[in-house]
Amino acid sequence: MKKTLSIFAVIMVFTASLFAQGFKVKGSGEQTFNFADNKNQATFFSTTPLEDITGLSNDVKGSITFNVGDLKTLKGKVIVSVASIKTGIEMRDGHLQSAGWLNTESYPEISFEIKKVSDVKSAADNKLTAKITGNYTMHGVTKEVTADATLTYLDESEQTKMRAAGDLLGVQAKFNVKLSDYGVQNKLVGQKVSENIEVSVNIVGSNAQ
Amino acid sequence: MNKNQKYVLIIGIILIALTLFYWYSQGAEVFTKTQVLVDKTTDLDRMLGVENKDYVDKFVFGLLPSGMTSIMEIISTASITGVVVFLSGILIYLLRNKRKETK
Repeated sequence: MKKTLSIFAVIMVFTASLFAQGFKVKGSGEQTFNFADNKNQATFFSTTPLEDITGLSNDVKGSITFNVGDLKTLKGKVIVSVASIKTGIEMRDGHLQSAGWLNTESYPEISFEIKKVSDVKSAADNKLTAKITGNYTMHGVTKEVTADATLTYLDESEQTKMRAAGDLLGVQAKFNVKLSDYGVQNKLVGQKVSENIEVSVNIVGSNAQ
Repeated sequence: MNKNQKYVLIIGIILIALTLFYWYSQGAEVFTKTQVLVDKTTDLDRMLGVENKDYVDKFVFGLLPSGMTSIMEIISTASITGVVVFLSGILIYLLRNKRKETK
């Protein structure tokens, strides 16, 4: 009986390790990556009848924690400062941050809190793609969204040190949001902005303490 | 319309045509821009699978003004055309033939 249980346990561990999708890098165990530098960015892309609009923020902060060998353990939160969003036209930035739109005074942050990770696929030893589901909060409204994400892990090297100390994790994620779901009117300086906005983040975190 | 008025009208039309041509040659943007988005992705960014873009100061001549807070935001095809039409109108009015007073 003991032998059968042992074999069963070995099979379970083997199966779990087979299905655990993680990075095959030097780093191991649970790691926390902090996103802090001003090169991190979140963008939104929208269209109007007159022109396309790209909003960009370089004030993106947050941290994520996961087991390097199993991305499904991913937890964390990313926060974007609304006041830092630029669109290339100052008057439009002002409208974007006004009470009629994102209302920076009442809702100074946009956040994404990770809840679960699915469809993890390995693109390379240090690169994984996955669907990351989380709570997206904008304009005081929180809704669940799923982002298509690509995560790239780089062990510390002379090249990575140019950006930050420690191992680096690059995250590129994209998802769409519907403005009316968040109580945001879709008019900006008289132009009707598309109801659906594409949000994307390009962030690099370091696990240096 | 006298000869001088015709000159003013032709110069006005030429100025507006040149403005439109310049706007078209600058990319035919709807709004004047004082900042444009440029790609600043480095080799390390590419290795990390991320992109890096940023707005940098650059003037792009547009069809419509993008704001009223600086002269650069106001300069556009529409504002120059407006000024040309306004000045041409004044000149055409001033250069009109004055009626001789009849006794």
